[in-house]
Amino acid sequence: MNANDLPKDIAQTAIQQDLMGAVRAIAQGPLAQRAQSIDQEGLYPQDLLQQLAAVGGMSAHLDQAGKPGDYKAAIAAMAEVGKVCGASAFMMWCQAVCGLYMQSSGNPALTGERLQAHMQGLGLGGTGLSNPMKSFAQIENLLLKATPIEGGGYRVNGTLPWISNLAGDHYFGAIAAVMDGDQSAGREVMFILKCDAPGVTLKECPKFSGMEGTGTYAVQCKDLIITAADIVADPARPYIRTIRAAFVMLQCGIAAGIVQGAIDSIWAVESQLGHVNQYLDDRPQDLQAELDDLVGRVMTMAETPFDTSTEFFIDVLNARTEGAELCLRASQSALMHQGARGYLMNSDVQRRVREAQFVAIVTPAIKHLRKEIASLSAEELPA
Amino acid sequence: MTQSASAPQAEYLQYICNACGYIYKEADGDPDSGLAPGTRFADIPDDWECPLCAVTKSDFVLYQPVDPRTRQACAPARPAPRGKGARVGVVIVGAGRAGWQMAQSIRDVDADVPITLVTACSGDVYDKPLLSVAMAKHIALEQLVRETGAQAAQRMGVNLLAQTQATRICTRTQTLHTTRGKHAYEQLVLAHGAQAALPANLPAELCWRINHLDAYLRLRAALGETPKDVAIVGAGLIGSELANDLALGGHRITLLDVQPEPLARWQAEHAGQQVLQAWKDLPIRFVGNVSVCTVEKIDGRMHVTTACGQQFVVDQVIAAAGLQTPNRLAQAASLEWNNGIAVDPISLRTSNASIHALGDCITVQGQASRFIEPIARQARTIAATICGCEPVPYEVRPAVVRVKTTSLPLTLSEIGR
Repeated sequence: MNANDLPKDIAQTAIQQDLMGAVRAIAQGPLAQRAQSIDQEGLYPQDLLQQLAAVGGMSAHLDQAGKPGDYKAAIAAMAEVGKVCGASAFMMWCQAVCGLYMQSSGNPALTGERLQAHMQGLGLGGTGLSNPMKSFAQIENLLLKATPIEGGGYRVNGTLPWISNLAGDHYFGAIAAVMDGDQSAGREVMFILKCDAPGVTLKECPKFSGMEGTGTYAVQCKDLIITAADIVADPARPYIRTIRAAFVMLQCGIAAGIVQGAIDSIWAVESQLGHVNQYLDDRPQDLQAELDDLVGRVMTMAETPFDTSTEFFIDVLNARTEGAELCLRASQSALMHQGARGYLMNSDVQRRVREAQFVAIVTPAIKHLRKEIASLSAEELPA
Repeated sequence: MTQSASAPQAEYLQYICNACGYIYKEADGDPDSGLAPGTRFADIPDDWECPLCAVTKSDFVLYQPVDPRTRQACAPARPAPRGKGARVGVVIVGAGRAGWQMAQSIRDVDADVPITLVTACSGDVYDKPLLSVAMAKHIALEQLVRETGAQAAQRMGVNLLAQTQATRICTRTQTLHTTRGKHAYEQLVLAHGAQAALPANLPAELCWRINHLDAYLRLRAALGETPKDVAIVGAGLIGSELANDLALGGHRITLLDVQPEPLARWQAEHAGQQVLQAWKDLPIRFVGNVSVCTVEKIDGRMHVTTACGQQFVVDQVIAAAGLQTPNRLAQAASLEWNNGIAVDPISLRTSNASIHALGDCITVQGQASRFIEPIARQARTIAATICGCEPVPYEVRPAVVRVKTTSLPLTLSEIGR
């Protein structure tokens, strides 16, 4: 066997080796023990997420005193967890982007103690930007409506389906259309929505085929009051432009982890089944070469996460698309390589197929990404 | 040629225009110019003009289409396909003149190789030079499309992926990534052309750039049927031709340039003075020595302001500031870049052995040559190489530049930039 064909640890590309060691210890220890119950029983691993936060696994990308944010480390940490449990990597992303919203809001009420608590895992949160992202891409309409109230602030109504990493005392970034009476005022407001605020109800979602245990709920808002202390950006659109690349780029960590996990499970049976597996498509060395190439590009982009140019964003969307496509191929290939043993309900191999499908359909889904790349690539002409 | 005149029963021949690629077929003649079907090239009067670009007979040369019978002789010599299963074939990026010509030249020598053509536009086939003369020649907009993309694809046996952006080339796996999935290639040909450049101070949402049919049709729709005020920023070839044609269509043109006269590249040939003289009775106002610093939309009209403080209020603004080659694909494939995709002058191969390029996106020794005449020869060169035929070395020739200012057509020589 060629040494170059051996599985390469994605984390090698990270510069924060201490952080990676701590994240790996949690991932391969208690998280590996619990990955099946997260998936099968839908157990939300709040304590493990808090442990990951406590070692800095979900805040490496945020600027801290004397330590500028490191997107490479944040992506590598997510990948390390994703090798073991895709659902947990996804929840890390939820927590990471929520932290990004708070820090980049410039709102002292969000960047102070609330952000500190968030970074340490004392507060947990997510993101409700699936609907607004699709709305901005002309795929669907905004579901939350915000009516300005006297003395500042807004009254918010509407229901968002499927927001993850939530529990009764959690919170998430949301966007609502600002209303002028019955009409849209032509702008949006972004804010942190607290799940325990008056007027907010969390509703259980139907059972999904995968990614159970991610604390996913529909969120109903009835006359929820938003004050200046909650505002991330008003108007929201110019702000979204500044964070969109970082938001999408971080998701590449989930994909990288799932792909690496799939490749590792192919190698795990190579000595026994290599004699017959050699006839399969997408052999591990091929997948590894593609993954290394992709991760290399993502890590280069991670050095400039706030580049607002269209060309850069297309590069990020491309990488995200390739990550999703590679997830589908690698997880499927791992199942082919493992055969019946990978098809057992307690096998991580079949679970990873469902996790990969999630990466391909969660916002931005492959089709959404392609539509966005096409529209960003088109020459802009007068209307 | 005198021979054909004396032997009327001889096979009809075809002649190609060096300037625009129009093919004169003796069998069909050119009835619009009074040449009946069957008119021999030798019998055409010397003052006859190319119906497409208006150069004269002396700029035509004999055109010999490849005999379909040679296809079979040629095909087996091609390299064996890579990998398992069916032939992967050729992927072409771009469906302008260069892309379609490439597909046709491959089909001329190989009837079977799979060809996939990826294009961001509809793939409809049209003659770009007509966009500069459509009003003068009273060409109806719906007549600009010679053949739809789907029809051309069917005729040539090409898998056309229209409205599809090519986003990345992975040279390791020989795969082209697009917004409609990935496509493996044995040979990749880049024919994606160049884009109209937009100076940084001109906002894209307010300024037209006319480098393809779709933009032209949208501009014409925006102009409507009544005379409008139009500012054209840049008085090079395209700016001057558009000014000429839109003025003949009744629109009032303000043509702006940083140079003191139009067509300043051909100052030595007094091109600018000649067109200004020819335009004296047309509604074209040329304003030289100015640089546009802002374009703003105020109450539905465009306010164009120059650095020296002049202001022009118009209905539409067209930027004609030259072309630039997009570098996304070349960069992803680490192709050598020299002011465009650098290609070998003889083989038109890029720095990657499996990738060739032709048309507006290439440069030879740093020089782009964005004219139509070389494209057919380039396509034949590349087709011969990738189909394994006898090599057809490409020859760089100075182009004949025909300025399609119909009020005074000029023939100029290509000048290196």
